[in-house]
Amino acid sequence: MLLNIKNLNVNIENKEILKGLDLKINPGEVHVLMGQNGTGKSTLVKTLSAHYDCEVTNGEIEYKDKNLLEMGVAQRANEGIFMSFQNPVEVKGVNNSYFLRTAINEKRKYHKEEELDTMEFLKLTKKELAKYDIDKKLMQRDLNDGFSGGEKKRNELVQLLLLKPDLIMLDEIDSGLDVDAVKVVAKVVNDLLKDKNRSLLMITHYDKLLSHIKPDFVHILKDGKIVKTGDYSLALELDSKGYEAIGIEDETN
Amino acid sequence: MKLINFNKNNIDKAINELVIDKNTNEPIIIIHDLNKENTKDETSLKIKIKENINASFIEVFINNKEQKKEHNFKREFEVEGNASLEYLKYQDISENTSLNIDSNITLKQNAKINITNFELGLGINKNNFNTNLDAENSNLNIFGLVKLYEKSNSYSIFNTVHNAKNCSSNVSYKHSLHDASKAIYEAKSIVNEEALYSKVLQNSNTILLSDDAVIFARPHLEINIDELEASHGATTGSLDKEQLLYLQARGIPLNKAYEMLLKAFENEVYDNIKDLKIKEFVTKFKKSDYV
Repeated sequence: MLLNIKNLNVNIENKEILKGLDLKINPGEVHVLMGQNGTGKSTLVKTLSAHYDCEVTNGEIEYKDKNLLEMGVAQRANEGIFMSFQNPVEVKGVNNSYFLRTAINEKRKYHKEEELDTMEFLKLTKKELAKYDIDKKLMQRDLNDGFSGGEKKRNELVQLLLLKPDLIMLDEIDSGLDVDAVKVVAKVVNDLLKDKNRSLLMITHYDKLLSHIKPDFVHILKDGKIVKTGDYSLALELDSKGYEAIGIEDETN
Repeated sequence: MKLINFNKNNIDKAINELVIDKNTNEPIIIIHDLNKENTKDETSLKIKIKENINASFIEVFINNKEQKKEHNFKREFEVEGNASLEYLKYQDISENTSLNIDSNITLKQNAKINITNFELGLGINKNNFNTNLDAENSNLNIFGLVKLYEKSNSYSIFNTVHNAKNCSSNVSYKHSLHDASKAIYEAKSIVNEEALYSKVLQNSNTILLSDDAVIFARPHLEINIDELEASHGATTGSLDKEQLLYLQARGIPLNKAYEMLLKAFENEVYDNIKDLKIKEFVTKFKKSDYV
C-alpha cells in the first residue's frame, strides 16, 4: 500500500476540519475527492504535505510503510509526495530554472543519486517541455513572478513532470483553465500514471477533468469525513443530479 | 582622465580631485585596506565627471581584524551636464572598525548618478549623503544593501533637496540583519516650490533574522508643490513563510530554502546596478584577494 490514513483528525486555527477520516491508496490507483466547500478536501492534501496551517490532533498516516507524520515538508517531497498548489506563491528573485534544478538535485541527493549539472538539466527540461508544447520561456523567469493564473498552473505541471513523484496530489488544478489547457494537464498526468507505481489523489468540482483522467475511486467528503465512495459513475451522477440527489445535504445552507 | 594630487603615501589631510574627462571602458577601482591606511584625520576625494562623459567607479573599504580604530572619509561627487556616474561602494570591515563617510553630491543639468552601497560584515559605519538637485532633469539613485552580523551598527542618513524642475531621486535600501545588529535608515527629501514635476522615492525593506536585530527606518518627505510623483515606505519582517513552504514542498531543505529567499531579497539591490563590469566585480569579489 502506498498510503494508509487511519482516523485522521486535523485542526486549522483550533477549528476541527477533518474528523476521523480514513483513506487507503494503492500504487497505480486514481482517487478523486469531491464535496462541497469547507468539507476538508484541501485540508487533507495540505496535511499530507505537512502544511503549517494543519495541526494533526489524532490518527495515523502510513506512507510507503513509514510514519508520514514524523517527516518534515522537504522529506515528504523527496519521498515522492507532490501537491500542486491552488494558488502558487510568487517568489521574486528566485529563477525558475535554478529553483527546479535545486529541487531535482535535492531529490537525487536524498536518494543517493548523482546530481544533474546545468547542461544535463537543460537537456532534460527541453525534452520534457517539448513533449507537451509548454513554452520554455517560463523557465527563464522568476518563480511564478508575474505569472498569469494559467502560467502558474503550467509551472506546477513542469515541476510535476520533472520531479516525477509517487503520490501526485492535484488541488483543483483545472480551475481557471480553458479546455485545451485541461487537456494538457490530463496528458501529463496520464503519461505519468503509465508507471503503475504512481498514484493520484485529485480534488475537483467538475467533470471536465475526470472525462480525461478516469478515476478508480470517487470519494465524497462531508463534515471532515468520507461519507460515500464509488467509481467514476458516482462523479457523473453528482455532476448531473447534484449533492442532494445522492443524499448529501448542502452544508453551506 | 586626470588624477590630481592623489598620492596614497600622503593621503592624510590631502584634498584630492579626480577629474574624469573620457568615458571609462572599465570601472576605476580604489581598494582601501583600512589596516594599512592610517587615516586618523579626514581624507577627501572629489570625483568630477566632465560634460557628456559616462564613468563607472568602484571603492572598496575592507580590513581584517584590527585594534579599535575610526576612519573618516569625505567624498564629493560632481557630475556635469549630460554626464553620468555609476558608483559602487563595497564595504566589508572588521568588528573594531568604525567607518564614517560623508558624501556631497552635485548634479548639473541632465546629469545622472547611480550609487550602490554594499555594507557587509561587522563594525560600525555611518554614511551621510547630502544632495541639492539645483539643475533641471538631474537624476539621483542611491541603493543599498546593509547585511550585518553580530553587534555591528549601520547608520544611513540621506538629505535630498529638490530645487529644480523634472529631477528625480530614489533612495532605496534593503537591510538583512542577523544576530544583535542594528541599522538606521533616515531619509529626508524636501521638494521646494520651484521643483515642479519632481519624482521622489524613498524605500526601506528589512528582514530581521534574529529576535535581537533592530531597524529604525524613518523615510520622511517634505513637499511644497502638488505637481510631482512621490512615495515613501518602510517594511520590516521575516522571510515569507508561504514562500519557504513552497520551496520545501518541492524537496528543498529549510536551511537551503532560507538561503535562496534571502539571496533573492538581497539580489534586488545587485539588479539595480546598470554597469555589467561593476556587477561582475561584485559577483567575483573575494575579500581574501585583497587583505
